[in-house]
Amino acid sequence: MTTLELLAQAVAAGKAKDAKALTQRALDEAIAPTEIVDRTLVPAMTEVGDKFKRSEIFVPEMLIAARAMKEAMELIDPRLAAAGITPKYTAVIGTVQGDLHDIGKNLVATMWRGANFRVIDLGANVPPAKFVAAIQEHRPHLAGLSALLTTTMPAMAETVRAIRANAGVPVKIMIGGAPITQQFCDEIGADGFAPDAGSAVDKARALVESVP
Amino acid sequence: MKATLTSRERYLTVLRGGQPDFLPRIPILMQFAAEYIGSNYGAFASDHRVLVEANLRCAADFGLDQVSTISDPYRETSGFGAPIEYQRDSGPVCLEPPLEGNPDLVRLPRPDPMRAPRMRDRIDAVRLYRERAGDTYSVLGWIEGPAAEAADLRGVSNFLMDLLDDPDYARDLMARCVATGIDFARAQVAAGADTIGIGDAVASQVSPQVYEALILPQERALVSALRAMGVFVRLHICGNITHLLPGIATLGVDILDVDHLVSLAVARRAVGPAVTLAGNVDPVSCVMRGPAEAVRAAITACAAAAGTRFMVNAGCEIPAATPPAHLRALCAPLAPPAVGCDGL
Repeated sequence: MTTLELLAQAVAAGKAKDAKALTQRALDEAIAPTEIVDRTLVPAMTEVGDKFKRSEIFVPEMLIAARAMKEAMELIDPRLAAAGITPKYTAVIGTVQGDLHDIGKNLVATMWRGANFRVIDLGANVPPAKFVAAIQEHRPHLAGLSALLTTTMPAMAETVRAIRANAGVPVKIMIGGAPITQQFCDEIGADGFAPDAGSAVDKARALVESVP
Repeated sequence: MKATLTSRERYLTVLRGGQPDFLPRIPILMQFAAEYIGSNYGAFASDHRVLVEANLRCAADFGLDQVSTISDPYRETSGFGAPIEYQRDSGPVCLEPPLEGNPDLVRLPRPDPMRAPRMRDRIDAVRLYRERAGDTYSVLGWIEGPAAEAADLRGVSNFLMDLLDDPDYARDLMARCVATGIDFARAQVAAGADTIGIGDAVASQVSPQVYEALILPQERALVSALRAMGVFVRLHICGNITHLLPGIATLGVDILDVDHLVSLAVARRAVGPAVTLAGNVDPVSCVMRGPAEAVRAAITACAAAAGTRFMVNAGCEIPAATPPAHLRALCAPLAPPAVGCDGL
């Protein structure tokens, strides 16, 4: 097996130490950082996301894979920055006001970073005004709103309203979380919904690439 | 529909397999109840007198059959030493999970429910319900389940990774949570609770294999201890638990709350006819957004799907912004399914 094949396996299995060591080995072998990301890490996390979509793995397995990916990216990011390589798309993401849960949001942020988005993470319990301010500051292509609690879904609707009314930026809005449905997405006027972190990458790409 | 039973009698009749006058109503109220009486969530979570007044007023006005002590997940976590900050219009925040930075269990005290202020406040709520309402209503005590409390202590992501990284540690941590849960439940039962609810929300996020190997044995130990106290046991795991139902079916709980993401018919097939199902109208898209006629149609359909041993409930907590008319539609008397209707 090649170093990149072993690295892909390590990330998918959530073996963070192995992922870090194999990333270093790949860099020592003079493999381009972009190749490590595009040909290995992104496909590995895509595979993880696909397994999650099929309920072959669950959140703990996703979390350790994301942790392994993060270890690898900590070695790669400085090289990409030094080479002047920046992500094509920018996204802001946060869990809506009143909701302190951040796992789903963190997973989606990791998956988006793995798909070569620059991600500004606003954290959990984010008021609508903070989303608006971040969108005005960073002018992202995409805003991701997360909610785990059914009781905070109204805050998600309020956040969508605030962004549409006040941000002044043609940002695509994507929502997700355990209680969220496509019907709810339609009702509150968001642009897209993903039922899980794996689908969130496909949906994000589709939304940002739909803009001429 | 004329009531011939008190609320508590109605509730007990269903649990014992009998035919009630109409189906018991046991929705979960927190911020809604606080604001219904002109108070706020912060006061509701920090003062049992507000919690009791809010729930009793709602029970009287909407026709609930059980009054509850649920407020937030951090009663035991506070007892374990976590600093808690109250918010006026949202749930309390745990400022620092005690084991987030350092997982060493030696550092973890065993809380005394009668001395830990937030645990004592819940016990006082149970006692006050009995003083004010006697046996009119079922009184629901509440404890965190082993996975939920472990996640509160370690931080959710840390704990979920612990389940894979270090199963022995996760097991030991959950066992400590079970011991405290039993202590806390015993004090609430002594104060007058006839039912103890277990909230174990985070369990819905793990695989059936991890659930059955690590979490289920801890839940089973907890349920066994509660049943030995002579109380009914209600299990509430938010989210989609379809993949966990075979394990849950072995727990021996009396009431299983079913969130709206789960088919009641599938749940009934999994747990059999002896478990009372409670649920599962979509709390936001239906109960909050209405209209009232849709809420009524939805709960009627739920009752038909669940068959006998069923109680009226939404899939999860009633949102604060729910119009009172929608909660009335959910809780208006509903005839029980005919005896022998098993919903299968």
